[in-house]
Amino acid sequence: MAASPVNEWLVIVGAGVVTFLTRASFIVFADPHKFPHAFRVALAFVPAAVLAAIVVPGLVMPHGTMELTPANPRLVAGLAAVAVAAKVRNPLVSIVAGMVVLWGLQALA
Amino acid sequence: MLPNARSEFLAGCRDIAPVLVGTVPFGFVAGVAAVGAGMTPLQGIALSFFAFSGIAQLVVAQLVAAQSPVLLTLAAALVVSLRFLMYSAALSPHVAHLPARWRVLIAYLMTDQMFAMGTQHDVVSGERHHRHYRLLGIGVTLYAVWQASVIAGAVAGAQVPAAWSLDFVVTLTFLVLLVPALRTRADLAAGVVAGAVALLAAGLPYRLALVVASLVGIGAGFLVEWRHRR
Repeated sequence: MAASPVNEWLVIVGAGVVTFLTRASFIVFADPHKFPHAFRVALAFVPAAVLAAIVVPGLVMPHGTMELTPANPRLVAGLAAVAVAAKVRNPLVSIVAGMVVLWGLQALA
Repeated sequence: MLPNARSEFLAGCRDIAPVLVGTVPFGFVAGVAAVGAGMTPLQGIALSFFAFSGIAQLVVAQLVAAQSPVLLTLAAALVVSLRFLMYSAALSPHVAHLPARWRVLIAYLMTDQMFAMGTQHDVVSGERHHRHYRLLGIGVTLYAVWQASVIAGAVAGAQVPAAWSLDFVVTLTFLVLLVPALRTRADLAAGVVAGAVALLAAGLPYRLALVVASLVGIGAGFLVEWRHRR
């Protein structure tokens, strides 16, 4: 399908509708207690699963192929940020630590 | 604004301040990505005002760049937004007493960061009549800083040196949210399985790996939890 300006504006407005409806779901429209128990149990695993599905490829395959080695600076920097995040609650510290390790390894390479 | 409302609002602005160091480069990257995908700067900025979600904006940009069909692009945006269902369910008891226009506003402003900060004990235990101003302070601050960063990225376009690796801020931002989300064995199962499937399915077109991995991960967490309860 060829890209056209119409499609792009459809996607832009559609993405707005999709994100708003998921956010507003229970805050505006529905009471979560009216849904089956199993649904609420499954909902609890959404953040861990979605966030891991985003983060793991960003660390292990930064250029589209598997780089599960210590020579992959993003993997090392990410693991350093995990170690910091496990100790320090402030997200600023972990993000800065990860970027500093990445820049350091890139400067050494 | 009443004095209490104003102090709650300002407390919200202070709550969110430590996160903004990640918000600025992340927003910048989202703006650059939209223009890099072939959208005009105006479209990239419009996407940000409509969706106000970094990961949804990045996924949409990647799929627009891949000339993916509209419905598939929106399905991917929906899957990465599924976590908002959970945030919405968790936040709803704290705002259920508010009029609809307040709940619509808070829903529109809700992000990973607002959820993480807004459900901390000292926020939800605040005085009932004014604590929504604290959520508003968190949300408005993030919103203003995010949109300014996206606009800067969309206008600057591809002039940022790739050597800065600014895109890694996106991975790190989600990493610092992921770590505290892995509390129980079932959480861990959901995360490990989703991460493994995301790698195995990486060859699928249109970033379908993200959709498949998320759903399989949720299933894995659910199974571990269900067996544990029996």
